[in-house]
Amino acid sequence: MKINRRDFLKASLAAGVIVTLDGPLFNALTFAAAEGGAKPGAWVPSTCQGCTAWCPVEFFVQGGRIAKVRGNQLSKANNGYCCPRGHLMIQQAYDPDRIKVPMKRTNHVKGRGVDPKFVPITWDEALDAIADKMMELRKNNEPEKLMYMRGRYSPTSTELLYGTLPKIYGTPNYFSHSALCAEAEKMGPGYTQGFFGYRDYDLAKTTCLVIWGADPLSSNRQVPNAINKFGDILDHGSIITIDPRLSTAAAKATEWLPIKPGEDGALAAALGHVLLTEGMWSKDFVGDFKDGKNLFKTGATVDENAFVEKQTHGLVKYWNIELKDKTPAWAAKITLIPEEQIIRAAHMMGKSGSKTAVWMGPGVAMTPRGTYAAMAVYALNGILGSVETEGGVFQSSSAPVEAFPKPDKFIDELAKHHGHGKKIDGRGAKDMPAMMKAKPGSGVITNNVANALLKNPESIKVFLSTWSNFVFSGTGSQRWEKAMEKIPFFVHMVTNAAEMTQYADIVLPATFGPVEKLSIITNMANLHGHMSIQQPVIKPLWQVKAEETEVMWLLAEKLKTKGFANLYDYYASFEDPESKKKPTTAAEFALIAAKISSQKVWDGKEKMKGDQIAGWEDFRKKGIYNTETYKYKKHWGKENSETKKFEGKFKTETTKFEFYSETMKKALGEHAKKHNTTIDDILKVSGYEAQGELAFVPHYESPKRHGSQAEYPFTFIDHKSRLNREGRSQNTPWYQEFKKVDVGDKSWDDVAKINPIDAKKLGIKNGDTIRLTSTTGSIVTKARLWEGVRPGTVAKCYGQGHWAYGRVAAKDYAKAKPRGGNNNELLVDDYDRLSGATARNGGFTGVKIEKA
Amino acid sequence: MAKQYGMVIDLQKCVGCGACALACKTENNTQGRNRGQTFNWADFYIREEGTFPNIIAETIPTRCNHCSDPECIKPCPKPQALYKSEEGLTLYNYRYCIQCKKCQEKCPYSAVNVDKQNAQYSVISYNEVGVEVNEFYKDKTELIKGCTASGAEVAKAVGMTPPNRNEYAFKDGKNPHDSKLSRGKGEMKDVRSGGWVEKCTFCIHRIRNGEQPYCVVACPAKARTAGDINDPASDVSQLIKKYKPARLKNNKGEYLKADEKGTQPNNYYIRSYKKV
Repeated sequence: MKINRRDFLKASLAAGVIVTLDGPLFNALTFAAAEGGAKPGAWVPSTCQGCTAWCPVEFFVQGGRIAKVRGNQLSKANNGYCCPRGHLMIQQAYDPDRIKVPMKRTNHVKGRGVDPKFVPITWDEALDAIADKMMELRKNNEPEKLMYMRGRYSPTSTELLYGTLPKIYGTPNYFSHSALCAEAEKMGPGYTQGFFGYRDYDLAKTTCLVIWGADPLSSNRQVPNAINKFGDILDHGSIITIDPRLSTAAAKATEWLPIKPGEDGALAAALGHVLLTEGMWSKDFVGDFKDGKNLFKTGATVDENAFVEKQTHGLVKYWNIELKDKTPAWAAKITLIPEEQIIRAAHMMGKSGSKTAVWMGPGVAMTPRGTYAAMAVYALNGILGSVETEGGVFQSSSAPVEAFPKPDKFIDELAKHHGHGKKIDGRGAKDMPAMMKAKPGSGVITNNVANALLKNPESIKVFLSTWSNFVFSGTGSQRWEKAMEKIPFFVHMVTNAAEMTQYADIVLPATFGPVEKLSIITNMANLHGHMSIQQPVIKPLWQVKAEETEVMWLLAEKLKTKGFANLYDYYASFEDPESKKKPTTAAEFALIAAKISSQKVWDGKEKMKGDQIAGWEDFRKKGIYNTETYKYKKHWGKENSETKKFEGKFKTETTKFEFYSETMKKALGEHAKKHNTTIDDILKVSGYEAQGELAFVPHYESPKRHGSQAEYPFTFIDHKSRLNREGRSQNTPWYQEFKKVDVGDKSWDDVAKINPIDAKKLGIKNGDTIRLTSTTGSIVTKARLWEGVRPGTVAKCYGQGHWAYGRVAAKDYAKAKPRGGNNNELLVDDYDRLSGATARNGGFTGVKIEKA
Repeated sequence: MAKQYGMVIDLQKCVGCGACALACKTENNTQGRNRGQTFNWADFYIREEGTFPNIIAETIPTRCNHCSDPECIKPCPKPQALYKSEEGLTLYNYRYCIQCKKCQEKCPYSAVNVDKQNAQYSVISYNEVGVEVNEFYKDKTELIKGCTASGAEVAKAVGMTPPNRNEYAFKDGKNPHDSKLSRGKGEMKDVRSGGWVEKCTFCIHRIRNGEQPYCVVACPAKARTAGDINDPASDVSQLIKKYKPARLKNNKGEYLKADEKGTQPNNYYIRSYKKV
């Protein structure tokens, strides 16, 4: 507001605030000064963990209360903004249904709708009961019967629980939630580029953004940054959105390709086919034909020796094995995207070249054969040469975390022996290669834990879990209900009495991280890595404790009094990097842990390439360290001038970008060898169609579908809410009030979006109560007649359907009546077995729709 | 020329995320929806047209238009509670309000009861006399007795209702009603009570302190620009000049036609939600 600048300056000077008119308003002084127009208060930095962006934010604190939220003004990842879900933190912190004190179950019967008859107990009583159960297992030489499962966590302090407790105590059974939502994505860049991680983008420079199976304006990754730059991309380029339902990105995109669910691999192949036949591949990244003449002609096999590659490996093989016959006409029949639209999209991408960013999301990958679709979609970045180029796609930047001391010397013989046993999640079984990071048997199979528990209820006697809700968040969630009924002793550390909490024997009230927990969080976006603080910006109202630090310290103390001191001795060996003092209380332990993790960015021992921070207090005040900007072509290899040998930097077998994945070939080979069989057999038992050489290139696999077309005629599409703070924000009235910002959804309601043509056939009207049924289960929700889905499909947002959690989330908490239906009660328990990730996209679940 | 503050909303930049409306609720302590009143000073009109796959689905952010010819002020009985401030903003002074709700009835962007009138939004909300404000934080029920909190307990523990109350004060202790335009008396409350009419104030407490309205600074898409549309040098005037803006005619998503003046609303929508 130019007109106001003079007034603004005057007012600000009066308030004693130094301002810069064009730059961010933040400076050290505003930390303690009044916000104009407000009574005195201060913006205090912390970190939002409402989605995987882990945004550095600031809370406006007034009189010890939080009033407002914004992005950390110094953050390069979010440009100083938070997305809508940031604001919901206020109502989460002040949720009337927060658990105030530790609780103990007094009804031994467990089940959905069974009142656990919780009664309040003291922290001491609660920890005593937990420590007794833990000691008993060790006494009986069965520490492996303790299981820990983590939900949302801090990337640093998780090492004190997830990374330490199982090792020192002696159980191999610790599992992360990771494989539930997006892990299969990593297989795309993993088996082509050797990068098993989430990508970053140069959105400020992109001239063609291809959003595929995600809606970054709502969820997935770096939401505030995507929102911030989306409109500008449309000014200087184009946006193509590939999604079976009309997402916000689709509603605003230059082109929306409403693909038939699960056919992404076919579209990717056709786009690749056009880019190659029309000579639109990157000569800089990929290379060229020796004589410069394009030999990629539809249907024609090409001589591998005719092409010289630069940063890549196996383009011609990829063409010969997969792409040569994958024409747009072929893909049009499969994907239901018109041939001319496929060609148009390919031309947009080709014209933009290496400034095209193909942003692949879980919709592509989290399907039963998703690894290959993820590779096929990601490979387009390789063909276009947009890997680490201006406007392209990047590996993640990382912040310099200091590791905690190693726990090795605190691991006793019992722990060593039992801690290395077989994990119950089934990773590495013949039909479950779980080859994350190119290591067979390494990926977690979160959702399979329920199956293991059902198959062998004796395997786990004590189960600890933090900030999780697998009974709600795992597909085939009914399995979790049954499995949880049989767990003899379950300890849940959470903020609210969630669905999973209903099965708990002891409940420990956890801090609401963003405003009550001290920890160090790291992430990246917008070509920068960052380290940000999460800290108690207000005094907790209830007897809550930070589960990964304070609770662990107190538990370690308890175990020590009962004769097992190793965990305590390990924690107590930590040293404050400044004072060298050792912790004596839970609070001191949490503080020292945070200081250890973050010390590199503020201790001044090493000159940092990013922000300059003067010390721990300065870091607490600023709340963030931004790394240097990612350098273009960071991992591109070059020829060694002496040896004349190409030296690549990608972590693949060939050190090049592999269109023919030698990395996949090796990993599958290792897994087959372990099971004394062939790669083809492994693929077959794991449910993939490929045999032979096809298994080593990105390729099309037809979607797997549970439920026959005859009995379950509709293909179910699950998507995410832009207000979901994972599964935890549904108890805030603001979530319900603004649910309508999810395209097609209704406020204070839960809807299944059905094309009006289908609705007419079924005699269903807008607002009718309907029942959706899959081979797994049934939910009741409202019908919304909607043109944003094609006939034959039904889309529904994940998030509603809580039958516990709180008075707003559930329709009736006491009677376990849900508000709407939970998609996970419909979605079938299945996996992309090469990664171990849970299937939830790609039209793998058929449903029938009836009036209820 | 007298000032007339207005807002330009760039629909190409807007992604309909909801951050503006949520941020507004935190800045202005607006309570939760009840009895046909939204209490959303910032809200949305959602328009969907066409058939698969050629569908337009757009989200239009809405708020009080601070009209130059406001229909809400006209029926307000004298001495009027509603008046125009020196910035051209439509403000409300409870001191002169007789709770007739004529403003809500006549404003083309409002509904007396959004449920009964099936309205997507209403810029004016009304606090019924004798009805508790912020009921959510006054409720005493506990889900798990002795173990979980209640709304009332949260408010008590924090010492404030609502617990997230953003208390604001006016520069030099002067509230806008001190002006002659409002006959020099009356309170402006950061939390309203029964009998109060409420709506967007253009964050007058911030404006008077040289700051932008909170929805403007909170928009992650930088879609909003605020300023004096009577000043040709202002950012808003420049944007209005550069693009052909549209203005809403009512809360049914209709725009004013070229020859229509309507209430001379001061929210200008530039470019389109879906670029064509």
